Amino acid sequence: MIRLVALRLALMLPILFGVSIVAFTLMRALPGDFAQASAGTTAISAEALETIRRNLGLDRPVWQQYLGWLAHALTGDLGTSFVTRRPVAGELLPRLAVTGELTLIAGLMAMIMGTATGLASARLRGATDWMVRGLNSLLLAVPNFVIATLIVLLAGLYFPQLAIFNYVAFVADPAGNITGLLLPALSLALTVSVTISENTRAAVLEVASQDYVMVARAKGLRRRTILVHYLVRNALTPVVTVTGLQLAALLGGSILIETIFTVPGMGQYLFDSVANRDYPAIQAIVLLSATIVLLVNVLVDITYARIDARVSYE
Amino acid sequence: MSDDQSLDLSRTGFFDFDRRGLLRFAVAGLAAGVAPEAFAQSVPKRGGRLTIGADADPIGLDPGTVTAFSSYDFTALLYSGLLRWNAEMKVESDLATGFEQPNDTTYIFHLRSGVKFHNGQGFDAEDVKYTFDRILNPATASPNATIFASIKSVSVIDPMTVRFELNAPNAAFLSYMATNPVGVIVPRGVGDLVTKPVGTGPFIFVSYEPNQQFTLKANPDYYEKGQPYLSEVVFRFFKDQASLTSALRSKAIDMTWFKDPKVSAQIVRTSPDLVSAPGKTTRTFPVWLNMKAKPLNDVRVRRALSLATDRQACLETVLGGSGKVAAMVPESHVGGYDGASEMPYYKTDIAAAKKLLAEAGYPSGIDLGDYIVVAANPLDVACAQILQQQWAEAGIKVAIKPMETAPLISMWLKGEFATLMSIALSWSPDPDAIISRIISTGAYGKALGMTDTALDAMIVEARTLLDRTKRAAAYLAIQKRIAEQAYVLDIYQYPLRWEAWWNYAKGYVPLAANIRSFVRTTWIDK
Repeated sequence: MIRLVALRLALMLPILFGVSIVAFTLMRALPGDFAQASAGTTAISAEALETIRRNLGLDRPVWQQYLGWLAHALTGDLGTSFVTRRPVAGELLPRLAVTGELTLIAGLMAMIMGTATGLASARLRGATDWMVRGLNSLLLAVPNFVIATLIVLLAGLYFPQLAIFNYVAFVADPAGNITGLLLPALSLALTVSVTISENTRAAVLEVASQDYVMVARAKGLRRRTILVHYLVRNALTPVVTVTGLQLAALLGGSILIETIFTVPGMGQYLFDSVANRDYPAIQAIVLLSATIVLLVNVLVDITYARIDARVSYE
Repeated sequence: MSDDQSLDLSRTGFFDFDRRGLLRFAVAGLAAGVAPEAFAQSVPKRGGRLTIGADADPIGLDPGTVTAFSSYDFTALLYSGLLRWNAEMKVESDLATGFEQPNDTTYIFHLRSGVKFHNGQGFDAEDVKYTFDRILNPATASPNATIFASIKSVSVIDPMTVRFELNAPNAAFLSYMATNPVGVIVPRGVGDLVTKPVGTGPFIFVSYEPNQQFTLKANPDYYEKGQPYLSEVVFRFFKDQASLTSALRSKAIDMTWFKDPKVSAQIVRTSPDLVSAPGKTTRTFPVWLNMKAKPLNDVRVRRALSLATDRQACLETVLGGSGKVAAMVPESHVGGYDGASEMPYYKTDIAAAKKLLAEAGYPSGIDLGDYIVVAANPLDVACAQILQQQWAEAGIKVAIKPMETAPLISMWLKGEFATLMSIALSWSPDPDAIISRIISTGAYGKALGMTDTALDAMIVEARTLLDRTKRAAAYLAIQKRIAEQAYVLDIYQYPLRWEAWWNYAKGYVPLAANIRSFVRTTWIDK
């Protein structure tokens, strides 16, 4: 088990290396660079643009720029942001904490809502099933940024006293911090909860039709025991996979949600950095996100072994 | 305040506004038609905090190197220059008490004494010299270097007097000197202004957390007695227009500006306590044409496009009428077009357009391919759609292609677009900055395929006309020629932003220069 985890972690390095090359070249292949993006339509001479580029090293060939970046990155130096002229690492870490918290809250919400509605739908059937599945189809059809925009607009119109843009740091005001993140987390969680809900429903229905459940029922076990020990535990495996995979969706969704709710997280940082062509920042965010997604995959694999006795990595 | 008076000021030299400063400001506010009750009220209240909703983070705060428009909002409160724009967009004194102009190429500025930078350093003529030497030093990579390329030398006469020698008469010089951050003064010997700005402005930098908050506090040593009234100004960042609207409604912010006049009008209609000021038009929406190759190198095709365009309809539909028909220069400039007088090929005439197309060899209409627009600007996209329909009536087909801003600007500046592209121009301090974009000797004009040497000569001459009336006439003639040859299809002009604030924020006036200079005269009365 430990050897396997070590192997999986070691395998992450070549993947991250590949990701760094792809992100680096893709960003530079996009037309427009920082000098141009920041100047916008301000009248600026071609010579001044060239000097700005030269000062940032953007006039060198891409492979030279990449090797320069790599040499620094290997020593832990992720470079300086073109926009704020501060070290990227220092900008990124507080934002990672914010996005981490938002993703965590959203993930928990999605899991609770998803498994609850999925279970209810599978167990109660009938009208509940219809309602849950109808709502799920609706939520699946409406993108999360539309929901977020609606929340923002409606809250502004009907509940102006509701402070939706009052992001405060956790250390300054823990309760205020969490309440501030509830609405963004909810708009992020809704779409993800649909996937979890549908998967839970399917998994529970499938498990419920298994012979051992019939045997358990024939033995006269209480409904509750069957549900907790036979149904849920066995239905959980696919749900865990889906939840793990949805983390990427949560991270991706946070770009839009953080921008709409002005939550100073990694997603908002990425949005701004791409618009400004802030290459060092983009590179760092992409690498960090890739690392997180890869780590979660390893974590999901480990969890399998804990939940499902049939899975063994020996 | 007539145009003639200001002509005298810039022409004959010495002026001193201090005695009349206060009265003039009050008049300016009334003239702009903004919240007259704010001025009728007797005494401004001191203290308090103003929270402004901003739609973009600054990119650097060093006035010498800043290129991003989003930074100007912050430099405007942190720094001041020798001159500044007043509410009517006339140049007035700031760190200078006045200037003399012994000849067409020499300006002697008399400086205000007792002014201090935020770090306690005293302000004098050496700082002025330092600022401009720094801008002109190629190592600084200042975008202002080309703007001030006409400066031959800056010399200190005494600590309170400084002399600028120009290579040639330059009518734009004073406009640029009055523009923040282009002409503002930085303290000599202070290093990193990008993240630690030090100026002489009404507010002092306190802190900046990217994407969250930018905090300023009142400068107790600000030279204008009693100003600023506020003790703190906080900018909060909202990248999404819906979030900005919501934040204003919930009073999370006291003041903001919108990119869409319909949004601004609607929010003010629902809340009578909100003040909205349209502001002067500062921005034009042009269609840029690639004239390097067929078919747009043919003037008949370009004129056909212009004739097929119903500019008034675009204005009514997209801006709800809150703007004017445009030529190259917006009305807030010297020689700006007022939208009312006749321009060649501006009157919609589909039959004439079809006839011109047939003459050019396209009797059954023409497909111009992609028309590239800024995807992030809904106004631009909406206008492009209307233009597409209008042109279709004359048999001109285009496919609208919305695009991200950065690559679009790159294509525009290099001329790497097939036929048509639209990107609106922000406010610039002088009409020359706009018109120079199509001079055939410049990189941008070359990129568009300009070859009109007669127009080039007109543009070069207009730069040197110090007489305001003559200069205005020159720019009108230039714009007529551009319209006549249809080098650029200008559609409408409008304010860059539509500003709105709660009526407990008093004494504020929107400035057409698209910076919030008058936060220095704002006070909070809740």
